[in-house]
Amino acid sequence: MSSQESQDIEQATATIAYCPLLPPPSHLVLIFFSATASPTTKPVDMTVSSGKKPPTLNRSLILRYPPPSIWAASGQAALEACRILVVSSSATSTSILKNLVLPGIGHFSILDSAITSPADAGNNFFLNATYSLGKPRAQEAVPLLRELNESVQGEAVVKDLKLLLDTDQGRDWISSFSLVIAHNLNKDVLGQLSTLLWANSNGPPLISVRSAGFIAEFHIQYHEHCVSQSHSENAPSLRITRPFPALLALARSLDFQNMDPTAHSHIPFVIILVRATDDWRKSHNDSLPHTPAEKKEFKKNILSMRIKPDEENFEEAEAQAWRVWSEPAVPSDVQALFSLSTLPTAPHHNSTFHALLQSLSEFVKDPAGPGTLPINATLPDMKSDTKSYVQLQNLYRAQAEVEKAQFKELFAVKHPEIARTSNPEEVDSFVKNAHHIRVLRGKQWGAVDQDREAIANLLNAQPRETATHLALSALSTLLALETEVTVDALNAEVQRVVGEGVELPEELETAVGEIARAPTADLPNMAAFLGGLVAQEAIKVITEQYVPLNGYCVVDLIESWTGVIN
Amino acid sequence: MAAATLVNGNASSSDWEGRYHHVDQILDRPGPRTDPSFLAGAEVKDFLRDKCKILVIGAGGLGCEILANLALSGFKDIHVIDMDTIDISNLNRQFLFRPKDVGESKANVAAKFIMNRVPGVKVSPYFGKIQDKDEDYYMQFNLIICGLDSVEARRWINATLVNMVDSDNPESLKPLIDGGTEGFKGQARVILPTVTSCYECSLDMLNKPTAFPICTIANTPRLPEHCIEWASVLEWPKVHGDKKMDTDDPEHISWLYQVAAARAKEFKIEGVTYSLTQGVVKNIIPAIASTNAIIAASCCNEAFKIATSSAAYLNNYFMLIGTDSVYSYTFEHEKRDDCPVCGGQSLSIAVNKEWTVERLIEMLVERQDIQVKKPSLSTPGKQIYFQAPPQLELATRPNLEKKVSELVPDGGEITVTATTLPFNLSLRVTYT
Ligand SMILES: [Zn+2]
Repeated sequence: MSSQESQDIEQATATIAYCPLLPPPSHLVLIFFSATASPTTKPVDMTVSSGKKPPTLNRSLILRYPPPSIWAASGQAALEACRILVVSSSATSTSILKNLVLPGIGHFSILDSAITSPADAGNNFFLNATYSLGKPRAQEAVPLLRELNESVQGEAVVKDLKLLLDTDQGRDWISSFSLVIAHNLNKDVLGQLSTLLWANSNGPPLISVRSAGFIAEFHIQYHEHCVSQSHSENAPSLRITRPFPALLALARSLDFQNMDPTAHSHIPFVIILVRATDDWRKSHNDSLPHTPAEKKEFKKNILSMRIKPDEENFEEAEAQAWRVWSEPAVPSDVQALFSLSTLPTAPHHNSTFHALLQSLSEFVKDPAGPGTLPINATLPDMKSDTKSYVQLQNLYRAQAEVEKAQFKELFAVKHPEIARTSNPEEVDSFVKNAHHIRVLRGKQWGAVDQDREAIANLLNAQPRETATHLALSALSTLLALETEVTVDALNAEVQRVVGEGVELPEELETAVGEIARAPTADLPNMAAFLGGLVAQEAIKVITEQYVPLNGYCVVDLIESWTGVIN
Repeated sequence: MAAATLVNGNASSSDWEGRYHHVDQILDRPGPRTDPSFLAGAEVKDFLRDKCKILVIGAGGLGCEILANLALSGFKDIHVIDMDTIDISNLNRQFLFRPKDVGESKANVAAKFIMNRVPGVKVSPYFGKIQDKDEDYYMQFNLIICGLDSVEARRWINATLVNMVDSDNPESLKPLIDGGTEGFKGQARVILPTVTSCYECSLDMLNKPTAFPICTIANTPRLPEHCIEWASVLEWPKVHGDKKMDTDDPEHISWLYQVAAARAKEFKIEGVTYSLTQGVVKNIIPAIASTNAIIAASCCNEAFKIATSSAAYLNNYFMLIGTDSVYSYTFEHEKRDDCPVCGGQSLSIAVNKEWTVERLIEMLVERQDIQVKKPSLSTPGKQIYFQAPPQLELATRPNLEKKVSELVPDGGEITVTATTLPFNLSLRVTYT
C-alpha cells in the first residue's frame, strides 16, 4: 500500500461518524429487562507497562518459523515431507490449506477447474476480491497461500477431477499424494474418488467435507491408523505393585523409623507406597488391599508412618494410593489390541507397528520379563529433595533401559527382518509410549449409509448427530441429481435411505430446515471453523501423533455442537 | 449501500453483484431455529453492513482470524485494539503478518491487511492498552469480541462492560464474546453482562497456574521447570536489579536459558531447553493455527448470529478438546450469585477467630476464584492494610500481626483492592 493510501485510511478512520443503532434484537431486550443493575464499583486503571521497543533480530540464531513443540520434531518432519491434494479452492478448502501451510507441510496441489465467480470473490480470503474474477480460482489462491510460509511448495492444477479419474495417469497422480481432501464435491465424483482410494490400501487417506450454511460434516477414510504417540494425559504405571528389584530393594533398605527427620519428609511417595505395599503383602498372605475397609486401612497405615503431622510426602502417598488397587498388569485398551485380528488391507507402513505390537504381547508373556508393559522412564514431580528424586529417577531410567533392551531383543528374534530395517527412533517411541498406543480401523466414505441396521442403531444412540448426517447425505444426493433442494425433497431422500416406516427423530426437522434454507452456502465462519477442524485432523493423520477422528464429525453452528458418529 | 468509505490497495471499494451470495442465503430467510424478530432481507443486511460497529480486542493468533472472518461475513466497521508489536515467533500462526512487519504494531498491520484484502471494510486500529479507553469509547460498539491470552486484561474488560450496564438504557448492554486457546484445547463463550455468567463467574474453571513453591525452586529443584523458575524469579532480579524482564526479548530468554541450564547441570537434572524456557516464563502452552481458527470462527459465528438474529446464539459456553478425536462440550455456565463483578452481593468468607490479617491475606492470594496478588484491605470506616504508597504501607503494617476479629465485627465488610483486580471486591466476614 502506498503512503498516500495509508493516509487515506487514517483520515477515513479518524472521521468515523457515530452511527445510531438499530434497537437490539428483541430476545436481547427481553432478557435484558429481567436483569438487575450491577452494584460493582468503577474499574480502576491498571498499571501495565507498554511502549515495548521492537525486538532486535538475529536471523542466524532464530528459526524462521519455529515449529510448535506440540507435535515434536518427528511430527514436524512428517509434515514437511507430506504432499497434500485439495480438491476445489472454495472458502472452506483455502481455510483448511491456510492451517496446513502455516505449520509447514511440504507441498500442496489444488485441483480445481472453476473460474472465480462474484460469490467466490466475496467469501474467500485467499482470492484477490474482484481482481480474481474470471480467472481460475486455484491459480489465484495458490500465491496468496504460499506467501504465508515460503518453505511450502504449492501448485494449481486447473483440471476437472472427473476427467482425471477416467485415466490411468490421472488416477496414479491422485494416488501419489500423502492425503487427499475434498470439499462439497459432487456425490458421484466423490464416490468414484473414495472407491479409487479405498481400493488401494496403501493409498492416501481421504477427508471429505460437506457444508451447507450452519450445518456441516467431514469424514476421514482410512483402513487402519496406528498411533504410538497419542500424547495421552493419563499417567503411565509407576509399577508400585510390581516393583522392579532395585526399586523394591531401595524401599526395603530405608529405616523409616530412625532416619533423619528432614530426610524422612523427603522420601518420594513412590518409595513410601512400594514399602507400604510390601509390608501389607507380608501381613496379608501376599495379597493387595481389595475391600473398601482394606483400602481405608492401607491409607491409614501410610499416614501412621509419619513422624511429624505435616509431612506432605506422606499425604501425597495417601492421595496416590489408588495406584495400588487400580492398576492392571496391562491397561485394558492395550490388552484389547493384543487380540486384534489381522486386517488384510492394513497399509504396509503399519507393519512395523504391528510387529512391535506383537512383540509387546510376547514381552508381557515372557517369564523372564516383568509380566507387564515396559516401564516408562519419566517420573512425575513429587514432594522430595533433589537428591532423593534424582536417585529415584535414575533407578527408573536404568530399569527402562534394561526393559527396552529386553524388548528389542525379543523384537529382533520374532521379527528379524522388520527389526533390522526399522527406524530405531520409531521403536524407542513405541516402547516409551507403550501404555497409550492406539489402533483405529476406519470405513469407506458413505459405507454407513448403505447399512440400514447400523443407521438404525446410530439413530437410537445419537439421534441428533445421525439425523444431521442423514440430512447432509440427502443434500449431496439431491445436488448430484440437480433436483431442487426443499424440505420435502430432503425428508423423502432421508426416508429412502433409512427405509420406509423407520421413525426419524425430531432433530431431523431442524437439520433439514437449515439445509433447505442455505443448501449451497459456504459461510465464512463455517469455512474457518472447518478449516481449523479438518486441518487439525489432517495434521494428526500425517504426524501419526494424537488420535484422529474415526468416522464422521458432524457440526451444527447454531447450537454450536460437534459430535462424532462411526 | 452507503458510499464506500475508502479506497485501498488493489481491490475495488464497492460491493459487487453476488458478493454476498453465500451469507445472503442465511439473511434472506429464517431457519427452523430463528427468532421471530429476525428481519430477513434488506433490513438485516443494512444493519450488518452499514450500521453495526464491532470491537475486536487482540490482534494476535485469535485476533487475526477474527478480523478476517468478520470482514468476510459483512461487518464493515471494525475496530481493533492491541498493545503488542509483531515478533518473529508469531509468524507461524498469525497469518496477517509477514517477516517485513516484525517490530510493527499488530493492530496497525492487521487493519491494513484486512482493508487491502477485503474491499470496503473499514478497520480502525488502536495501538495501545484497553485500559487507555473509557466507557464512552466502549459504549459506541454493538458487540465486542475478545481474543486475548491475558487473564488480567479479560477481567478488566469484563468488569468494565458489566459496570457499564444501565437498566434504563438497553443499548448499554454490550454482548462480549470471549475466545481462548491452549494447544489443541480452546473455548468460546457468549457473555451478556449482568444477564449471563460473566468471565469472573468462571474464574475458578481456569487451570491453576503452575506456581512452584519458592522453597522447591531455591532448595530442592527436581524438574527442568524448577531450574527455569530459579533463573527467572531469583537470579534475574539478583543480577539485573530493577531491569524488567521482557519475555519477548530473545536475549533475555537466552540469558535465562543459560542460567537455568547451568543450575540443571549442577543438580543433574535433564531437559532444560530454549523452548521450554520460553514456555515456562511466558506461562504458555504453544498456540497452534488450527485451534485458533476453530475458536475464532466460533466467536465470529456467534457475533454474526447476535448481530443479525439470523439464528439462536450460543448459550453460553463451547469447549473444545482436540487431542483424542474431536470432542466438544456445549453447556450453560451458571451465573454465580456471589460473583464479585456481576453478582451484586458481597462474597461471604469464613475466617477463624484467631487469624491475623496476614493470614487472611495469604488465604485470599491462594483462592482460585479470586486470583489476587498483593491485596490492600479496608473496612468502611478504616484502613486495615495497604500495599502502597510506602508511607501508608508503613503506617498500616502493624495491623498485619493483629487478629482480623479485633478489627472487623462479625458480619462486617472488608473491601479488597489490588492493581491486578479491576474492581473492588467486597467480603462479608463470619467468624468460626
Ligand atoms: Zn460474574
